[in-house]
Amino acid sequence: MTPVAAKMKRGDSTDGGAASALGSRLSRIDGPAKIKGQARYGLEHHPANMAYAVIVQSTIPSGHIRAIDSKPAEAAPGVLLVITPDNVMPLKPITTWTGAPSSDKPYLALTREINFTGQHVAAVIAETFEQASEAAGLLRIDYEEKESIPSYDDPKSGAGNPLDAMAVAWGDAGRAFAEAPVRIEQTYRTPREYNVPIEPHGLVAEWQGDMLTVWEPSQWVNFMIHNYAEWYGLPDEKVRLISPYVGGGFGSKAFALGHGAIATMAAKMLNRPVKLAVTRPQTFTAFGGRPATRQTLSLGATKEGNLLSIVQKGANETSVDGVWVEPLASVTALMYATPNLSARQNIVPVNTVTPCALRAPGENPSAWGIECAIDELSYEVGIDPVAIRLLNYAEEDPHAKKPWSTRRLREAYEEGAKAFGWAKRNPKPRSMRDGHHLIGWGVAAGTYPVRRTAGEALVRIFADGRAEVASSGIDMGQGTYTILAQTAAEAIGMPVEQIEVKLGDSALPGAPVAGGSQLANLMTGAVHKAATAARDELIGLAINDPKSPFRELQANTLSIADGVISPPRGGESMSIAELLRRLGRDKIEVQRDTLPENANSAADKLATYNTITRMRSPTDGDYSLHAWCVHFIEVRVDEDFGTVRVSRVVSALDSGRLYNPKLAESQWKGGIIMGIGQALLEEGLVDPRQGRVINNNLGDYLIATNADIPDIEVISVGVPDFHASALGGKAVGELGIVGVAPAIANAVYHATGKRIRELPITLEKLLGD
Amino acid sequence: MSKPLKIKLHVNGVARELVIEPRVTLLDALREHLNLTGSKKGCDQGQCGACTVHVDGERVLACLTLAAQVEGREITTVEGLTPDGAELHPVQAAFLKHDAFQCGYCTPGQIMSAVACIREGHASSDAEIREYMSGNLCRCGAYPHIVAAVREAREALS
Repeated sequence: MTPVAAKMKRGDSTDGGAASALGSRLSRIDGPAKIKGQARYGLEHHPANMAYAVIVQSTIPSGHIRAIDSKPAEAAPGVLLVITPDNVMPLKPITTWTGAPSSDKPYLALTREINFTGQHVAAVIAETFEQASEAAGLLRIDYEEKESIPSYDDPKSGAGNPLDAMAVAWGDAGRAFAEAPVRIEQTYRTPREYNVPIEPHGLVAEWQGDMLTVWEPSQWVNFMIHNYAEWYGLPDEKVRLISPYVGGGFGSKAFALGHGAIATMAAKMLNRPVKLAVTRPQTFTAFGGRPATRQTLSLGATKEGNLLSIVQKGANETSVDGVWVEPLASVTALMYATPNLSARQNIVPVNTVTPCALRAPGENPSAWGIECAIDELSYEVGIDPVAIRLLNYAEEDPHAKKPWSTRRLREAYEEGAKAFGWAKRNPKPRSMRDGHHLIGWGVAAGTYPVRRTAGEALVRIFADGRAEVASSGIDMGQGTYTILAQTAAEAIGMPVEQIEVKLGDSALPGAPVAGGSQLANLMTGAVHKAATAARDELIGLAINDPKSPFRELQANTLSIADGVISPPRGGESMSIAELLRRLGRDKIEVQRDTLPENANSAADKLATYNTITRMRSPTDGDYSLHAWCVHFIEVRVDEDFGTVRVSRVVSALDSGRLYNPKLAESQWKGGIIMGIGQALLEEGLVDPRQGRVINNNLGDYLIATNADIPDIEVISVGVPDFHASALGGKAVGELGIVGVAPAIANAVYHATGKRIRELPITLEKLLGD
Repeated sequence: MSKPLKIKLHVNGVARELVIEPRVTLLDALREHLNLTGSKKGCDQGQCGACTVHVDGERVLACLTLAAQVEGREITTVEGLTPDGAELHPVQAAFLKHDAFQCGYCTPGQIMSAVACIREGHASSDAEIREYMSGNLCRCGAYPHIVAAVREAREALS
């Protein structure tokens, strides 16, 4: 694998030298490889003698395969193997990401039982991609179809299964609502939404004896190798997963999936490397996106707008053969002070692929509900939407009853409102216009918890003056390469140009999932610890080693800056490289982890990196740890056509300390842009007869394009939060999207006087009754 | 349909000969047969723009072009964009400076579109850049930074 080096001079005037320390706006060090087309993504590895696999998916939503005639496909030119439920290799059951056994039965990647349209039913492997694609169309599948439940709007789906463990309650919310002078009760809905990373899923798999190598984009290298290893009854060391570049994930690339089982077994059955790329339409059912959600919110308040009660009844879709919970109370029970609250949630099984994580699972639809509802309340009692939020400001975590570590939400309202010009807003709906455009200004807040898991890192300082940082943690665009180089440079006292970073390889020290916005915080902590230890070791050698010229100084310590070691009170300096040469050392190597000292055995490490069981809750400890944001958004609505354009966005965000503001701002803006798409465009359309996602491609499942997005101003209002993380950062990547859709819906109401409570906000909803 | 043909492609100034089926797309010819993986496959159906390359200087979607169609024509991919002796093309340098990408997967297509967009004279305003760059999807949401990068590169190239 190729280390990513920070060597190149990177254009920006703030780059280089001391300005590259942690907190500076260093350009991303993996950038040159990406812009020159040299970065090799998972599917771009090409071992000799590689064959190509193409998947075939079911065309019915529920039922049974009576028979598959694979003979015409097998007889097609170049075909090497057809895998169907009849000859699929049974694999061993795995341990899930929660640490629980998945099943006591073998795992079958292909079955005759069909639970959703688009379920994998066969795979064709051939000498070329074209031959495999052609033969995939020759399979004759005889189905026996059963009645299905296409969505949770189908009456057959019923109310679903209650999740008692997710229920939250304090006070007597039902009674307080019933007795409240002001009451709002509305239902808010979000459709199925899909991750849609531009790099589709897939892998190249190669066996050498009982050693499996997988080149596959991954947000969680250690869990995925564990999963592959368990499938084949191997120790983890017998699987290597290589994922130095990941073409977007947004929650969808953390697990080994059915296509991974198929490609690895095909490689084993054929004894040659196999590439399997999931086609873009297949990505809509090869793994799940965010499930459809609905929630009824009842807000009781005083006439002055003080909340008395929040009652939430929510539900999300799940599959008939799997459980996915989209925690709908996560923001509802956190954002505002209320003496009474009750939140309950059901999951409703339907014939779909099991949903999964998509950017801010839970917080995103949760904020959609409460941030629309509080806006409705503001009009009901006749006060400003910002004012009502400050009126009900939660001075402590209302659920955990603990103080916030930091909550710069007031500052976010203040600075955001100032930059946006909120004071000039005419509060009356339909009061602002420009020609035939109705103009609306809306606001909404968002939050995302600080998740904490331990990690480890290897730091090497070489005699040629370079240093290297290594971890299995990944970079899918968050900036991991860059901030870890900055962390090591600062801790050691070296120019960042001398640091190389290796990531995304299971052969490197372990890391937990790049998800829950935790990786930057935990890995900067681990790298800082290892790099500081390496620096201490270097100084110890310089002071004590008989071959060191510093020995005779009898100094207690030495300083290191810009790669040069100096005595404390002047005197001759020497570069790190020169010292190591004089000592006859080719390198200093230090590995450190951030596990608790009483729980850092090999088994503890595996549980930390292979499962989420060691992830600490945001309220574990004395404080409640969360990142916060406020979005101020202007929309222009064409009065005749009902088309909505977002014309201005100002967001103020508290992510604590930013390790690299340039890259953090990119992530915030990326979340905001995904939120604009969510608000106005994104919707998996489900055929009510076949349960098929009919817009399963990028021309029909609309994500925001460049022309949909205005300039976006982001303002950091955070301060370092050392309760949250070793170096003071809080959540970044998932924060930005939370609250965007309600801010847009609130702006649309302000523009038009029409409240849209079901995403996306499309013209037929605005023009309809 | 599946009988392999001998095809000569002129890619990034180099003549390359390959034996492929006539149904092989230009994108698969580059990625699977010529080891030029800079051009990306995001959808394989002409909807995302990640495969954008230049044929005789004009942007085309390599996934909707058969390799056999472009025999004898000048193909430029992101790997061939940097002028001889230069570290980066001005568009590449502007993308780096403005952080106009995150995961990097749509980036080669964005860059190839941006180069052609500027050359075509379709980068005269931010609104025009947004419109003419809208055939290239970016799920990480780098659009405002892409606009800033194209604007700056246009100045550098004029």
